[in-house]
Amino acid sequence: MQLRVSMAVTACKAVRRLIRRLGGGATDFPGKVAQKLCPDILGHLAEDVTTIIVTGTNGKTTTSRMIEQILIDNGLSYFSNKSGANLMNGIVAEFCEHAHASGRKTCDYALIECDEAAFKTVSRYVDASYVLVTNVFRDQLDRYGEITHTLDNIRIGLKNSPHAVVCLNADCSLTASLREDIDNKIILYGVNEPIYKERVKEASDAPYCIKCKHEYTYEYITFGHLGKYYCEACGYARPDPDVAVSHVLTSDATHSEIDITVEDKTFRADIELPGGYNIYNGVSAVTMAYAMGLDPGHAVSSLSTFECGFGRMEKFQLGQAETRMILIKNPAGCNQVLNFLANIRERSVFVICLNDNYADGTDISWIWDVDFEMLRRIEDSLAKIYVSGVRADDMAVRLKYAGFPEEKMAVIKDYDALIDAFTSQQDPVFIMPTYTAMMDLRAIVSKKFGYKNFWE
Amino acid sequence: MSEFELRIGHLYPDVLNLYGDTGNVICLRQRLERRGIRAEVRGLGMGEVLHPDDFDLLFIGGGQDFEQDVLLQDAARNKREAILRAIDEEKVLLAICGGYQILGNYYKTWDGHELEYIGALDLYTVGKKERMIGNYMFTCDALKEEGTPYHIVGFENHSGMTYLGEKVAPLGHVVKGNGNNGEDGTEGAHYKNVFCSYSHGPMLPKNPRFADLLIAKALERKYGRDVLGEMPPLDDTLEIRAHRYMEKRLGG
Ligand SMILES: [Zn+2]
Repeated sequence: MQLRVSMAVTACKAVRRLIRRLGGGATDFPGKVAQKLCPDILGHLAEDVTTIIVTGTNGKTTTSRMIEQILIDNGLSYFSNKSGANLMNGIVAEFCEHAHASGRKTCDYALIECDEAAFKTVSRYVDASYVLVTNVFRDQLDRYGEITHTLDNIRIGLKNSPHAVVCLNADCSLTASLREDIDNKIILYGVNEPIYKERVKEASDAPYCIKCKHEYTYEYITFGHLGKYYCEACGYARPDPDVAVSHVLTSDATHSEIDITVEDKTFRADIELPGGYNIYNGVSAVTMAYAMGLDPGHAVSSLSTFECGFGRMEKFQLGQAETRMILIKNPAGCNQVLNFLANIRERSVFVICLNDNYADGTDISWIWDVDFEMLRRIEDSLAKIYVSGVRADDMAVRLKYAGFPEEKMAVIKDYDALIDAFTSQQDPVFIMPTYTAMMDLRAIVSKKFGYKNFWE
Repeated sequence: MSEFELRIGHLYPDVLNLYGDTGNVICLRQRLERRGIRAEVRGLGMGEVLHPDDFDLLFIGGGQDFEQDVLLQDAARNKREAILRAIDEEKVLLAICGGYQILGNYYKTWDGHELEYIGALDLYTVGKKERMIGNYMFTCDALKEEGTPYHIVGFENHSGMTYLGEKVAPLGHVVKGNGNNGEDGTEGAHYKNVFCSYSHGPMLPKNPRFADLLIAKALERKYGRDVLGEMPPLDDTLEIRAHRYMEKRLGG
């Protein structure tokens, strides 16, 4: 057994290094190799590592990066799957990378961002100590068909994690319902008041009671289907959170200032990221710190030193243009991004790259559930929208029917030409790619502008 | 603005809104307004009673199985009779996916449980364990008379297999994908001015000729002449490009 573990770890590391030396960033193959050599490799490697799993539809990456900041500030030794490799193979490879050839651990903690569906599988091998479920929105319905299917997958994952302290979003009626099916210690978090004065027009992903299918009544909504819900028919209601955003002082295009209350103590937190969804990411990270027995006040101060990660509003200087990249992948997330962008008053340029590969979701119909109509409000300050990606033509049609003027729109499918076009802009550029479009863009940008490779 | 107007009723926008189907309503409205035809869109959600005289064109989209029970009760109570009358009076009705299935006689789940549907069309649906998912393409018979066979491109995502009775014609025949049931090569249903399809995604913006067929029929029925034929065609460069891209990719 010992020999097989060693072989798997060594092979995985070697293959990974080789792929990178050849200039690839693929994260799937090395993990596959390791499992081929030792099918239970993940179980062996995870055995003496304290594992934190972050799952849910939206906010996994930013939340994981925030938790990472907290781990760093607490001086804990950890590793983490950084490059968005959140499926089984990527997670296996990350564990191998951070093990000695003998299979012994090199770090005390593993911070693992885990795809909702992969969680079901990963949890068969990893006995997680902490699990955070951010929310359940509709996403990639081409794979799962139903939003409740995502919920079922997470439920299985939790049942496979009997020793974990589980942190759940109380404001998500779907996520919060998970607490009734498990015997774990549970810590709930939520936002105790509305975030936006004006919200985007969006359909709720969960308008009907998960217990009895009666329509929910809301005292307030923060965004999407999140908020203070209750069911008049069966009494199912948002539970009181243990870690709460007790007050939203400001939330604008650059940052949010909030009060976070834990056990009668209130801390003022500054989140240097735009949008209400980052308030949720922030409070969920503090909740994880609290679950781990770390000082919540200290965790709150970690939030304010936090800098943005992979595909989440990272800034580059490309040619003349100050560029920011924000991943888009489903209606709820994309609406939040637009909500933020619609509040920018300075002249700017948008780039939207829509792909329909497996990792993006092969069904692109979700773009019709995004309120692109709201771009008309900032038509004057929006200098241009470049549309690209495999399904650029569909995106162009969507913008046309959103009432956006065709003369301000340009479809450029070739990435080199696209990058030339937007890097010659004087105005700040906001790039919104789907997942594989982001990977492609990053590769070309790295080559063209000498940026270091994203996986480092 | 011309003297023309179409009143569009959107059934269950609050429940059947899963796969971008609202895009069909956006499309109808825009294609009317670009021609100077007034468009009035009204949503008819749970608990609201449908009066067919208030509308010239009805649309019903797809949703999740989760909400289906609630919806069926409401449909039987508040909308069924009006839908039957609208169909009988040759009003234009577009039904997609779940909305399409509900117009049929019943739905039998894969484990044998039977749900009674509203019985407006002679068809029924049987549940399957695996979903039929993916980009697909079919010919649309209703568009054939206007020239060469015309493809509709879309995305299907359903576990129900639908079978048509004798009184109902298919909307078209599958070129690539599954269509009604993955067995007999048919896709959708066509009866009088009712058009049904599994193509969500949404269907109309990328298939502008089909969108105009619905508009033309609704106007013709209301004003007794070919109103759309009297107007210059719209600039559909972007729409046609999106259509052609998928047509080519799916081997058409
Ligand atoms: Zn209830």
